[in-house]
Amino acid sequence: MENMGIVFALLGAALAALLAGIGSAVGVGMAGEAAAGVVTEDPQKFGKVLILQLLPGTQGIYGLLIAFMTLTQIGVLGEPNPVSLTEGFLYLAACLPMAFVGLWSAIRQGRAAVAGISLVSKRPDQMGKAIIFAAMVETYAILALLISILSIFGIAGLGL
Amino acid sequence: MAVLPMSKVSIIGLKKDRKKILEAVQRMGVLEVRAFKGTEMGFENTDTSVSQARFSKACADARQALEFLESYCPEQKSLFASFEGLEGLSVREYEARLEKRDDILSKAGELVKWQKEIADAQGDIIKLSASIEGLTPWKALSVPLNFSGTKRTSAFLGSFPESYSAEELERSFDECCEKKQTEELKNAVHFEIIYESDSQTYIMALCNKEVSEQAESILRYMGLTAPAVSSGVLPTEKIKELEEQIEKSKKLIEENQKKITAYESLRDDLKFLVDYFTMRIDKYKVIEKVGQSRNVFVLTGYVPKKDIPKLESELVEKIGVAFEYEDADGDDVPVLLKNNGFAAPLEGVLETFSLPGKGELDPTAAMAVFYYFLFGLMLSDAAYGIIMVLVCAFALWKFPKMKRGLRKSMKMYLYCGISTTFWGVMFGGYFGDAVQVIAKTFFNSDFTIPPLWFSPLDEPMRMLMFSLLVGIVHLFAGLGMKFYALVKAKEYKDAIYDVVFWYLLVGGAIVFLLSMKMFVDMASLSFILPPIAGKIATVAMIIGAIGIALTGGRSSKNPFKRLAKGLYELYNVTGYLSDILSYSRLLALGLATGVIANVFNKMGSMFGGGVLGVIGFILVFVIGHTLNIGINLLGAYVHTNRLQFVEFFGKFYEGGGEKYSPFRADTGYFEIESE
Repeated sequence: MENMGIVFALLGAALAALLAGIGSAVGVGMAGEAAAGVVTEDPQKFGKVLILQLLPGTQGIYGLLIAFMTLTQIGVLGEPNPVSLTEGFLYLAACLPMAFVGLWSAIRQGRAAVAGISLVSKRPDQMGKAIIFAAMVETYAILALLISILSIFGIAGLGL
Repeated sequence: MAVLPMSKVSIIGLKKDRKKILEAVQRMGVLEVRAFKGTEMGFENTDTSVSQARFSKACADARQALEFLESYCPEQKSLFASFEGLEGLSVREYEARLEKRDDILSKAGELVKWQKEIADAQGDIIKLSASIEGLTPWKALSVPLNFSGTKRTSAFLGSFPESYSAEELERSFDECCEKKQTEELKNAVHFEIIYESDSQTYIMALCNKEVSEQAESILRYMGLTAPAVSSGVLPTEKIKELEEQIEKSKKLIEENQKKITAYESLRDDLKFLVDYFTMRIDKYKVIEKVGQSRNVFVLTGYVPKKDIPKLESELVEKIGVAFEYEDADGDDVPVLLKNNGFAAPLEGVLETFSLPGKGELDPTAAMAVFYYFLFGLMLSDAAYGIIMVLVCAFALWKFPKMKRGLRKSMKMYLYCGISTTFWGVMFGGYFGDAVQVIAKTFFNSDFTIPPLWFSPLDEPMRMLMFSLLVGIVHLFAGLGMKFYALVKAKEYKDAIYDVVFWYLLVGGAIVFLLSMKMFVDMASLSFILPPIAGKIATVAMIIGAIGIALTGGRSSKNPFKRLAKGLYELYNVTGYLSDILSYSRLLALGLATGVIANVFNKMGSMFGGGVLGVIGFILVFVIGHTLNIGINLLGAYVHTNRLQFVEFFGKFYEGGGEKYSPFRADTGYFEIESE
C-alpha cells in the first residue's frame, strides 16, 4: 500500500490532461466548424476566425501544465521522489479543479467562440468584443489553474 | 494624446469646377463628407445610382478578369507580399494608364467571356460523357436506338434492372401472360440479349405487329425501361459523334486557356482598372451627398481642425470656392485620435473596443503604459521577447511602405517584445530553462542564468501577490482617469462621490488586510503594517462606505429609493474583489509560458548527449518553441485586451464614437503619388 501514493498522484495528473484536453478538443472543434463555414463565404476572414477558434484551446494547455508539474513533483519526470499515500490523494485532489473546470469551461468557451465567429462574419469590426465574450469564460479556467498550481506547489512543503 | 478637434466645413463652388474640386478633395483626403440637405433653399441631391451601377459592373469585370488570370498563371509573389504595401504610381503613369482604359476594359470583357466559354465547355463535357456512358451497353446493337420494328413486326428496346438470360426472360414473360390472363400471347415474343451485367439486362424484344400493344404492356409490367438516350443512328456511330464533340470542347478549353494566359501582361493594367473604378464609385457616392442648384453646388463635412488651412488654401486659391468652417460640436462628429509614437500603435486596439464618445478623453496613452507592461508580464521570456523585437524591427525596416494598420500592429508588438524581454530577464526565462537544460545535457555543467528578481515557478505565491498588486495599481489608475475626466469637466462633486469614496473604501480595505496577521501569513508576505495603519484604514473604509451609500443613488429624488440605490452601489465592492482577483491570470499565463517551454526542453533532452542527441534536441526545440510562442502570443494578446477592456475601461470608459473616414483615394493596388 505504501506505493499507492504515486498511483493516485499520477491519476490526478492524467485526469487534468485528459479532461481539460477533451474539453479543449470539443471546444476548438466546434469553433472550427463554425469558422470553416465563415471562410467558405469570405476567405479574407480566415485570420480573424482562426484567433477565435483557438481561444478554447488554452484549457488543454493548462491541463498539460498541471499534469507536467505533478509529474515533476512526484518524480515520474526528473529525480525520483517518494510519495506517501496521503500525498498521493492530495495531488489527486489538487488536480481536480483544473480537470473539471477545464472540461466544462472549454466546451462553454467553445460555444461562446462559435457565437463570436458568427458575430465576426456579420460585423468584422466587432472582433475585439467577440474575443472578450469568449475570454470571459476563460477566467474561471484560470482561477482553477491557479488553485491547482498553488496546491501542487504547497503539498511538498506539508511533509505528510 | 487626444481626440483631435474637428471643424464642420461647407464648400460652395461653381458647378463647372465640380470635377476639379472633388478630385482635389479626394487627393487631399481630409474631408469626411456628410449629405447636404437644402431642398428648401433650392438645392437638390442628384441620384447617381445608374452611373454607380455601371462602374460597379466594370470594376467587377476587371476584378473577375484578374481572378481568372490568377488561376491560370498565378502571380509570382514573395512570401512577405502582404507586408509590402501599395505600389507607387506617379501622376504621369496614372495618366498613361488612364488613356488605355477603354481598351483594357474591352480586353477584360473578352477574358471574362473566354472564361465563361471554358465553364460552358466543361459542363458540356460532363453531359456528353454521361450520354456516352448511357450508350455503351448498346454498342452491340446493329440497329439505331429508335428502331421500332419492320412492316410486320414491332421491336422494343430497353433494359431490366436484373440479370436475365434469354430463356429466363421468355419464361418470366409467359408467367406474366398467365397472371394477366392473356395466355394467347405465350411465345409470341422473341428476346435478344444485347448486353448483360450483374444488375442490368439490355434487350431487344420482337413480336408480331398485331399483338404489339398487349405485348408492350406485359413488358412494361415486367419492368422494361426504355433507353435513356435515343438517336436515329447506330449506337457505335453515335458514341463516335459524341466523342468528337468532347474533343472539340476540350480543344476550345485549351485554346481559351492559352488566350487567357497570353493576356498575362495585362495584370497591372487590370489592377489599375479595379483601383480606378473603385475611386470613381467613391466619387459618385460623394456626388450623391452634394447639394446642387443650377450653377452652384455645396459640399459639407468634417475636417480635422489642423488640416483646415491646407484645404482652404488649396481650394480657395487654386480653384476658387467659398469656404466656411466652424468648430464642430455635435453627436455625430467623427473621431480621429492623435498620439505620440509610443501610444499610437494601440489606437487599433482601442478601435476594436470603441472610440471615445462625445466629450470623452482619449484613453490610449494611459492604456499604452499598462498594455506593454501587462503583455510582457504574461509572456515573460527574454528569448521570445528578443525574437519579437527582431522580427518586428526587421519588418518595419525592410518594408517602409507597409499599410498603416499593419505598421501600427508591428510597432505594438515591437514595444510588447521589449517589455517581454525585460520581464524575461527579471524572472530568468530564456526559452524557459533552455540554458540550464543544454548545459546539463551536453556539457554536464550546472550553469544557469539566475533571475534578476525572482523565479515565479519557485515562488508562485510571491508572483501572485505581485500580480494582484499590479491589478490594484491598474484599477486605481482607471479610477484616476475618471477623476481627471470629472475634474476637467468641472464636476467636482461627482469626482468626490464616484472616485474619492471608492479610493477610500477599496484602498482602506487593502491597507486593513495588510495590517492583519492572518492575511499576511496566508499571503506569505515579509512585512506587516502597524496596527495604527489598520485603524486609520478602518476609518477611511467607513467614510468611503457611508459616502457611497449616501451619494450612490443621487440621481433619484425619492429619499428611500436613493438610499436603496446607494446601498446597491456599495454592493459593487464585490466587483472590485473579482476585478483584483482577475489579475491572477498574470501569474497563470506567465507560468504557462515557462512550464510549456520547460516541457519542450525536457522532451528535447530525452535524446541524451552526442551528435544524435543534438539533432533531436534542435528539432524538438525549434518546433516546440515556435508552437509555444504562437500559443502564448495569442494568450497574452487576448488577456491583455481583456484586462484593459473589462477591468480598466470598466472604471471610466464607455466609448461609442464613430471613426473618422475621410473621402480619399481608397485603392487596393496602387497609391497615386502627388507631385
